[in-house]
Amino acid sequence: MVPTMTAPPTTGTCDRDLVRESWTRPEAFAALFDRYAGMLYRYVSRRLGPETAEDLVGETFLVAFDRRRRYDLAYADARPWLFGIVTKLLSRHHRTEAARYRALRRSPGEGVVENPADRVAAEVTALACRPVLAEALAGLPPRDRDVLLLIAWGDLSYEETARSLGVPVGTVRSRLNRARRRIRAALGETNPMHEEE
Amino acid sequence: MDDLTTLRALGGELEHEPSAAALDGQRRRLLGALDGSLDGGRRGRRWPRRPGARGAVTLALAAAATAAVLVVPNLLLRGHEVPSPVGARPVKANEAINVLVAGTDGQAGARRSRGEDVGDPRANAARADTLLLVHLSADRERVSVISIPRDSMVLVPPCSSPAGKTVPARIEMINASFAEGGMACLWKRVETLTGVRVDHAVEVDFSGFKGMVDAIGGIEVTLPSPVEDRQAKVRLPKGRQVLNGDQALGYVRVRYSLGDGSDLERIGRQQRFMASLARKAAGLTSDPVRLAAFLGEAAKSVKADRGLDLATLRAIAESLDGTAPGSVEFLTVPVRPSAVDPMRLDWDRAAASRLFAKVRDDTL
Repeated sequence: MVPTMTAPPTTGTCDRDLVRESWTRPEAFAALFDRYAGMLYRYVSRRLGPETAEDLVGETFLVAFDRRRRYDLAYADARPWLFGIVTKLLSRHHRTEAARYRALRRSPGEGVVENPADRVAAEVTALACRPVLAEALAGLPPRDRDVLLLIAWGDLSYEETARSLGVPVGTVRSRLNRARRRIRAALGETNPMHEEE
Repeated sequence: MDDLTTLRALGGELEHEPSAAALDGQRRRLLGALDGSLDGGRRGRRWPRRPGARGAVTLALAAAATAAVLVVPNLLLRGHEVPSPVGARPVKANEAINVLVAGTDGQAGARRSRGEDVGDPRANAARADTLLLVHLSADRERVSVISIPRDSMVLVPPCSSPAGKTVPARIEMINASFAEGGMACLWKRVETLTGVRVDHAVEVDFSGFKGMVDAIGGIEVTLPSPVEDRQAKVRLPKGRQVLNGDQALGYVRVRYSLGDGSDLERIGRQQRFMASLARKAAGLTSDPVRLAAFLGEAAKSVKADRGLDLATLRAIAESLDGTAPGSVEFLTVPVRPSAVDPMRLDWDRAAASRLFAKVRDDTL
């Protein structure tokens, strides 16, 4: 199992207080960077690779800083807000992203990182499925892909995803269902070992 | 193992750890902005226009965007826009957008595209061969293209031509409105007949369509049998092939040698052809040279209303970014053979009004 990569911090000032403090004391915003830059970088690196991730994460915090006064103080956790900005910035790269997944389909083995032992089993299967999975991801409509990956790779809940994208939870559900149907159909076609739930 | 687990494992494989240097650099970038905000006050940063230029893809996109911006104003400032209808109109009920598209067969257009001066385009009674109502849902998730058979016999309300001449109400083929009163007249009548508020109208000259097809390198079709049609001047072998502009024009016009010879059959063929053209055009953003050529050709043969300006087009394009090609649906107004002329069609009133009610309520 992949460790949860986006758990909120358990100690210290909550995000909301940092954002509010930054309204009068901008330097407080740097604490948000320290808290979440790594997490966002990992997420973007999955979707666009490490080169673009670096720039995009920097851009995300610049946008977030400039929009800090519009932060909704009803929410203590800033992750959905930040993921929303990331998603919007990612949308300029949809074609690059699809091309990245398609490249995986063509050259299995490229970009594989050293695996800790407990991840091997899952990744052997993933490796076998990778060409079809990558193809299916590349073929998803960007809006559906955003929802699927915010949930699967960003570890956001349905409600948090809805808040990120500024859409109703029902829309998140329907986009997720549609995306998962496509993924399952793709996996089902080529992987006889795969069992439907 | 379920799909999400497999997907998470793939994500784990693709993930990279940030280097300390990478994050440090970006942190300094943020700190620079924090500093600037102290002495600069509120600068109000907008969404950045372009991500940091990286690699060929970014360059290609930038080139494509530049090409589009260069060509589109040209297209819109050609001086003969479609005037919008006057008088009482259906109310705009939601954020959905409806666009009336007429494909015309004006010889004037062909001569104009060869650079000849033919004067006022409306003086040359062009025929509207293809009528479409394009509906973009309010959330921009769905696009529906409704073909209106040109042979539809409809009770047309009176309307005024741009010259001020009044065209009286009568039963006639729907596209007669176009020949008599131009696009404004057709626009008005479509609104009256359907009760749908039509936000924009676009007129596409089919003879220019030829150049558009050539500009994107042809369109692939598969023919069940060879086609030879002297009326449409087309001769094609059986099977899969790429049609050039001339052949494509013939193919969408042929009415007698292909299928059952009816206008409905021709509409189906045009819809399939347009879907394939749209797919090909959508792929052009990675090929700026072709895109510029395509837009240049489109500019020669497309006229739009004044409201469809650059900002509106850009807003529509942006809102559609992310709409999957698969979410475009092609429909036809429900019809049956006409009571007055079996060679013509009558709208199936009940079914047609159900269809247009869905367009009005954005529930297609």
